[in-house]
Amino acid sequence: MKEGAFITLTNTFKDKLFRLAKRLLVSNEEAEDATQEILLKLWRNKSKMGEYKNVEAFAMTMTKNYCYDKLKAKETGNLKIVHSNYQDDKPSLQRQLEAKDSLDWVGKIMNSLPEQQRAIIQLRDIEQYTNPEIADMLGLNETTVRVALSRGRKKIREELLKKHNYGVV
Amino acid sequence: MELSNIEKLLEKYFEGETTISEEEKLKVYFTGEDVSPDLEKYKPLFEYFSQESTVAPTRNITLKKNRKSWYYSIGIAASIALAVGLFFTKTAPEPNHDLGTYDDPEIALEETKKILNMVSQYMNEGKEGLVYLKEFENTKNKFIK
Repeated sequence: MKEGAFITLTNTFKDKLFRLAKRLLVSNEEAEDATQEILLKLWRNKSKMGEYKNVEAFAMTMTKNYCYDKLKAKETGNLKIVHSNYQDDKPSLQRQLEAKDSLDWVGKIMNSLPEQQRAIIQLRDIEQYTNPEIADMLGLNETTVRVALSRGRKKIREELLKKHNYGVV
Repeated sequence: MELSNIEKLLEKYFEGETTISEEEKLKVYFTGEDVSPDLEKYKPLFEYFSQESTVAPTRNITLKKNRKSWYYSIGIAASIALAVGLFFTKTAPEPNHDLGTYDDPEIALEETKKILNMVSQYMNEGKEGLVYLKEFENTKNKFIK
């Protein structure tokens, strides 16, 4: 495969890889690094490209694995500060400020979901893949995808309504 | 689209049972102007989804610029330099084989004795320093019996 053909092929889903990486890793720079890394890996293994049923789905799976690894490495590398004896009943100032921009707020809620739900909602609601496709990409079965999707969406709704009713109820 | 229909779809949506095309309908409805006040609260959700679907990396992703292969070639260059360097330095000085051997065993014995004596003398001198340790021992015994 020539470089030009490869670029045309990957350009169709490159942004999707980036968005999935960004959803999981949150940071823009890290997501860009991840995308670059995945595309390079694909390029190096271009001879095997014909064997893949669906290059896009394959690249998505690679991205997911790469990000999960990154997150795991971060978890072990970083010191976590956990407040176990500290609780604030009022919504924090930060939360109140964030609430100003409701779209950002949805993003914040979404990024607070568990990785799996985050990835599934990203793939379904933003990239509009079907459940079987998502199941294939993430290596799950379809029921798991549907359940996680429903849980994630309900969680977002719950948080969204909390914010919406803040000061009303 | 009718309001009751949208509400039904929303319910299905949160159960994860909508199809892609039904979700598309929801998205169209909620990103439009005409959203019922009751459902206003869901607007940001669908707006966020359609906003996020257009995000793209700002940096241009290239294939040629490969940081890893750069390190790789530097590594190869360094190892070649190291191998060449080792090769040249190793062959340079010929070791001197003349160790000053004695031909007569008598003299050799005398010389060996002299050397050994010298070693033992230094050893004894060194041991003198250890006498102080005895003092420590004495003092310690005064307190700990």
